[in-house]
Amino acid sequence: MTNYLDLSVTELHELLKKKEIKPIDLVEEAFARIEQRNDNAFITLNKEEAIRVAKELEEKEVDHILFGIPVAIKDNILTKDLRTTCASYMLNDFNPVVDATVVEKLKACHAIIIGKTNMDEFAMGSTGETSYFGPSKNPWNEKKVTGGSSSGSASAISSRSVAVALGSDTGGSIRQPASFCGLVGLKPTYGRVSRNGLVAFASSLDQIGPMTKNVSDNAIVLSVISGRDERDLTSSHVEVPDYTKFLNQDIKGMKIAVPRYYMSDVIDEEVRKQVEKMITLLQEHGAIVDYVDVHHMEHAISLYQIIALGEASSNLARFDGIRYGHLTESYDNIEELYKKTRSEGFGREVKRRIMIGSYVLSGENADIYYKKALKVRKALANSFAKAFEDYDLIIGPTNTNVAYDLGTKKDDALKSFYDDILTIPVNMAGLPGMSLPIGFNHEHLPIGMHIIGNYFEEGKIYTLASFIEQELKLELKPKEGETC
Amino acid sequence: MLVPTIGIEVHVELKSKAKVYSNSLNAFSPEANKNMTLIDYGYPGSLPVLNREVIDMALKACLALHCKINKEMHWDRKNYFYPDLPKGYQITQQDTPIGYDGYLEIEVNGKKKKIGIERIHIEEDTCKSIHSIAGTKLNFNRAGVPLIEIVSKPDMENGEEAKAYAETLRSILLYLGISDVKIEEGSMRCDTNVSLREEGSDKLGTKCEIKNIGSISNVARSIDFEIARQTKLLEAGETIKEQTRRFDDSTMETVLMREKETGNDYRYFPEPDIPYVILTDEEIEAVRKELPVLPNELKMKYRETGMSELAMNTVIANPELCAWLENLFTKVNPVITANLLTGDILSYLNKEKISLKDTKLEQDMLQDLVEALDKKEISSKQGKEILEILLTKGGNVKEIRKECGMEQISDDATLRKMITEVIENNKESVEDYKAGRDRAVKYLMGQIMKASKGQANPAKVNTLLLEMLQKY
Repeated sequence: MTNYLDLSVTELHELLKKKEIKPIDLVEEAFARIEQRNDNAFITLNKEEAIRVAKELEEKEVDHILFGIPVAIKDNILTKDLRTTCASYMLNDFNPVVDATVVEKLKACHAIIIGKTNMDEFAMGSTGETSYFGPSKNPWNEKKVTGGSSSGSASAISSRSVAVALGSDTGGSIRQPASFCGLVGLKPTYGRVSRNGLVAFASSLDQIGPMTKNVSDNAIVLSVISGRDERDLTSSHVEVPDYTKFLNQDIKGMKIAVPRYYMSDVIDEEVRKQVEKMITLLQEHGAIVDYVDVHHMEHAISLYQIIALGEASSNLARFDGIRYGHLTESYDNIEELYKKTRSEGFGREVKRRIMIGSYVLSGENADIYYKKALKVRKALANSFAKAFEDYDLIIGPTNTNVAYDLGTKKDDALKSFYDDILTIPVNMAGLPGMSLPIGFNHEHLPIGMHIIGNYFEEGKIYTLASFIEQELKLELKPKEGETC
Repeated sequence: MLVPTIGIEVHVELKSKAKVYSNSLNAFSPEANKNMTLIDYGYPGSLPVLNREVIDMALKACLALHCKINKEMHWDRKNYFYPDLPKGYQITQQDTPIGYDGYLEIEVNGKKKKIGIERIHIEEDTCKSIHSIAGTKLNFNRAGVPLIEIVSKPDMENGEEAKAYAETLRSILLYLGISDVKIEEGSMRCDTNVSLREEGSDKLGTKCEIKNIGSISNVARSIDFEIARQTKLLEAGETIKEQTRRFDDSTMETVLMREKETGNDYRYFPEPDIPYVILTDEEIEAVRKELPVLPNELKMKYRETGMSELAMNTVIANPELCAWLENLFTKVNPVITANLLTGDILSYLNKEKISLKDTKLEQDMLQDLVEALDKKEISSKQGKEILEILLTKGGNVKEIRKECGMEQISDDATLRKMITEVIENNKESVEDYKAGRDRAVKYLMGQIMKASKGQANPAKVNTLLLEMLQKY
């Protein structure tokens, strides 16, 4: 088997341009790798169509950096005529009639869609285990979770089955699996990327973002998928720069804040030590690093349970089987149709979250919980804004720990939320945040660093991330069969 | 003594080009599911867009009803499960209605009264469910059609006031051109709230809501029935339970639909897919400038001209006639114009079942006709004849008069000749005149007009006759 997919997008582009390889070579390698690994990273493969497109591209000029590049799409992003399940039995047979805006954009660049990646059901979970199709495998250690909810995208990039992938992030769903699988995952500023065609979980928090092997690939994909879309009123008019221009810039004089909350003793010691090493590294290269307080971060879980689940309870109401998706076989009245369809179609975690969400919005709870949560959310955003008055970036660990054993948190609904205590605040404020691999723990499991930027300053994140990447030169491809 | 308290909620379909949260056509279609997009269908991954035209239309209604404007407004989700609600929630405005705290002035038996407007908000219509033995089918043409809900304060006390409110509101909305407001077709829907309280007490009684009121006259009928029903119960010492009733127009009675379930919980929360809309003072003023003259303002203007109440009300109730009157208002006598429009013209239109634009009559023709009548160049009987020709064939008023021998004689020499002849033949009247009997002039005038077959210019004849009698 060839190993082209170990290369960066830029390197692949050069080879394609020089006609040393053809798109079909990459597509065949992708499917060979997926079949060989059999790690449940994909729910649906797009084999026939991908081969057809690759062949068709042979007649065309290599006119874009993503031309002929194999991509994977998280299964909550609509792909025309390609099954989109959200990893739920509810949408087991759902074949969208349209592409999401991001998919349209990738197709316009002649990127090739390899398949739809596994995920927690409706993006609800942080291990990949709530998927109707079961968890994906973590290529670093198959006993460990990949993280989630973008579990399949993380697994597929980590195993080098595709060149780049898209995930979505509501409370950490790109960054946490990126950190657990040793890849670069960015959740863009809220509004940077159109949500049109993303099956909504929590509309005020959801963002689609790139999950890649390296920082440069990430910047390339973000440059393509960003921008105002008239079909998503929350998408921003802020101009989209070429994010690759921010790579390999000097970090001297860059002002970086570390929230004390991010370095408390709830963080695993090895993880914390690794971040501290990075702080020293940055200081040695002329960056100014200070510890600061960002208030209200400690309310992240409560905010998430109220706002994200409240919105989810409403967003998932449309799945009643009447127009699309699973419909129960027999019912005597409309009430029964709803109850049976939704009981059968949704998994346990989804039902649990719909119930919590409905509860926090019910009657006077809306005032007690929801309206109060919106106030705290605003205060949290203000606190971040204050930090960004003095600092270019905020850093810390992406997660409290590295990837843990499969099954550990399955029966503890609350515990799995705690995975996201460091990532949720970024969604609440609508800021961009990245997880960047910065090393490994004693079990050789990847450790991720969180880099948070001010609104629409993804460029600065890329500057810092590419600097660290260059300095560390980590081997980020798991050795096959290493720990299984 | 028991006093009724009545409030009305009116849903009005706006006739914007596109739907409120999608760019589907907002129009009637005989074909089901013709005017719909994935947004109206509640497709996964689809997001609402906001049609600016709807905001401007709603703003017109708010300004015409003297409402304060929420310059910073957002939308909210009203969550409930029903097959005609594709997303499982309706996008409405709960917290920040576009308009609030306005009023509408009504007139009942010559007495004016201001009815408060609590709020006006923008929302979307649902699918239409079509029930049959084979099951229920959904038509998405109506899903996402823009609605404004206008909620009155409980300021009305009887069916007559409620009817006047609905009628006045309807005519204002019609004048604004934002809705067809056809209650029979569902583009205007009235729900009323009726309760009874002890006179002098501030404490309101338990209210019953009446839905399914199919016409404006039924607004009054349903309320009168409901007041009588509640009075009877209360006087018998029974209590009223909060409930929703519907009006049955075959029995002219209200019928129980359902008793109010406790905790009807819509789980409202701000719609995250639609950002806040900020209305600037400039934008609001621009819409205000576009407002047409409204019925109550027209009434005041027309009253000053001495127009009859009947003509005034008829012309205002008919926007097409009113537009003509408005165009000609400063050019020719408005009283004569209104009388022609609401008299012979309207009865012709009713008889032929057509509208003004379908006749051959043009505004400049009507203008000439009114002018001729006003200057008494033609008699009203002649006016009638000319009007009939204009309506059916059109033409030039002057030419028609010439053709039909209705041309006026104003030439001095010709008139003097005619007058001399009449005087010669009516010597006794001249004697009467000299004896100071004014009646004689009138008689002589009549004879001259008769001799001229009505064509003599009466004003001129009058002057000449007096002059000639002096010399006689």
